Amino acid sequence: MTTLAHTDQWSRCHRAARTDGVAPAVTELAVAVLPGLLPCGPAGHAIVSEEIAAGTSRVWADGVTVDRSACAETALGEIDLPGGPVLLQRHRAPGGVNGFAPAQRAAWTLGLVWLRLGLSEELRETAMRYLNGRRTGNSTLLQQQMVKSTVADGLIEHLEVRAVLTGIGPGELPDTVLNHLHAQLTQADRALVKLLGASGYLAGGPGQVARVSELLAEAYCRPEEWL
Amino acid sequence: MTTIRLDDRLLALRGQVREWGADFRTLGLALDRDPELIREHFDLPAVRYLSTMGIPPEYGNVPIPIAGNRFYGTLALERAIIMEELSCADVGMLVASPGPLLAGVLIDLLADEQQKDWFYGRMLESPLWTFFALTEPDRGSDAGALSTTVVPATGDKPALLSGAKRYVGNAARAQLGVVFARTSPGPLGINAVLVESPSPGFHAEALETIGLRGARISAITMQDVEIAPERFLGRHLSPSRRGMWAFVQTFNLLRPGVAAIALGIARAAHEYVITHRSALRRDERDRLDLLARRIDGARRLVHLAAAAVDARTGDGYLASAAKVRAAELAHDATQQACTFFGAGARLEHPVLDKLVRDARGMEFIEGTGNMQKLNLFQGLFTGKLDRDDPFRTAPLAG
Repeated sequence: MTTLAHTDQWSRCHRAARTDGVAPAVTELAVAVLPGLLPCGPAGHAIVSEEIAAGTSRVWADGVTVDRSACAETALGEIDLPGGPVLLQRHRAPGGVNGFAPAQRAAWTLGLVWLRLGLSEELRETAMRYLNGRRTGNSTLLQQQMVKSTVADGLIEHLEVRAVLTGIGPGELPDTVLNHLHAQLTQADRALVKLLGASGYLAGGPGQVARVSELLAEAYCRPEEWL
Repeated sequence: MTTIRLDDRLLALRGQVREWGADFRTLGLALDRDPELIREHFDLPAVRYLSTMGIPPEYGNVPIPIAGNRFYGTLALERAIIMEELSCADVGMLVASPGPLLAGVLIDLLADEQQKDWFYGRMLESPLWTFFALTEPDRGSDAGALSTTVVPATGDKPALLSGAKRYVGNAARAQLGVVFARTSPGPLGINAVLVESPSPGFHAEALETIGLRGARISAITMQDVEIAPERFLGRHLSPSRRGMWAFVQTFNLLRPGVAAIALGIARAAHEYVITHRSALRRDERDRLDLLARRIDGARRLVHLAAAAVDARTGDGYLASAAKVRAAELAHDATQQACTFFGAGARLEHPVLDKLVRDARGMEFIEGTGNMQKLNLFQGLFTGKLDRDDPFRTAPLAG
């Protein structure tokens, strides 16, 4: 059963993704469900804000917590985005670690879909604002029927993902379903980014946010063959 | 926090209708060959239920109790559950069954007490087919351009209805129906009138279709069909509430049911593979699992869309999204199902072939996918669809 606290967490994280950007949303989610921990995916990859990277002494590796000092840490890059940069890292945890915490993992994985939904919805809004400000003939690009159709397709994807998430608590959806939701969001993002034309290809802009959103799924989802 | 899970009452409804569907599944192919076969099966529980579905209890409807409850089918969510189950069993039998469906929803919205007494009374006497005639040749469902006319009565001359309609389900065999027509130019000049068949000047004939053959999709011509004053629906309402407003609301209320029909076809295709294929390879299992996830996701959207229109009939944007999604899914699922049965699958598996044919019809019924997308965009652009909380008005969303 979903608790009110969880609902608030997803809501805050979803809102932060829409209004503040990737890094603040990841911080919001990590602080809420993995306080004091640096969240890593099943292969040890992390995409986190500077705040999380600097303020955590323990690593959470897809459900198992270990001391950060026991891990081999590699910096894979840094991407500047609206709302602040995100750091790409790899943390190789030592083998034979016990103490898997399914509740934490369930909360993180569900929250991550809400986060990416927020990013994708904001991409849709950004594309609409952009095209509403560009004209063709006596109208705006946004009012072209092909554009409207693409926006509607993205919106349908968002609505279905949200319908599946609504009222759902951590652990209620298996990883296969969560991965499917991620795939839907990636598909929506790719279609919506096309609406931005060349401007969607610029580093630091909405196209880059969509790319990082895909990387979040890449880093934190268990591959289908594991499931 | 509430969830979008169905409560025990609705789960019982689903279980019962699923059971009733077994008859539909048995008869589906035969009805596809002969759509009039339905006349021999008015005694089936599902057909009996559909024949009065949507008639409110105060007009004497006493449907079969299910787990101690009576479901009148007056709510879009109930209809969505019923439609998915019966469509999954056989969509042809579903759309062939007599009942008030589209016309009934309009009656509920628009008719005065006397009109409701008359219409519902007729429907409760015996199973009757009804029709809902809006679409016109060359104009589609563009209501603003509709040209069928009803010339108002003058002196001792009755009002006369003339024009043509097309793609109207069951009109060729219906005894009662609703026709949209103009009394004057402009959006306020559109009226809905009740028409009985046969009537002098009224002619309807079935069009041969690729699929959904049970629906007897028909063409209607009308030449000076007399319309009595009491057959003008919503005569007690202002013109702004009885023309375009009325059919927009009607379509909003019905659209989740149409989406559920498409969903049922998709599910039928999925279930057909599970039933008729053994020893699936890993990649085949994965494809089938993915299809199941898509069906589950679409169902959640359909149910939330239904709850939204039940809460507020003007809130049809989610229903547009659900209809597009479910129609696309029906199309994909039926095509994919064929790939599990090798070369010539549709020739060897008539049920699959029928599912593919039926699925194609879901694209245009109650508005094409493109029209639904334009409607959805408009809802988003104007802010009528809440961007922050799109399920705000759906009580199930909590």
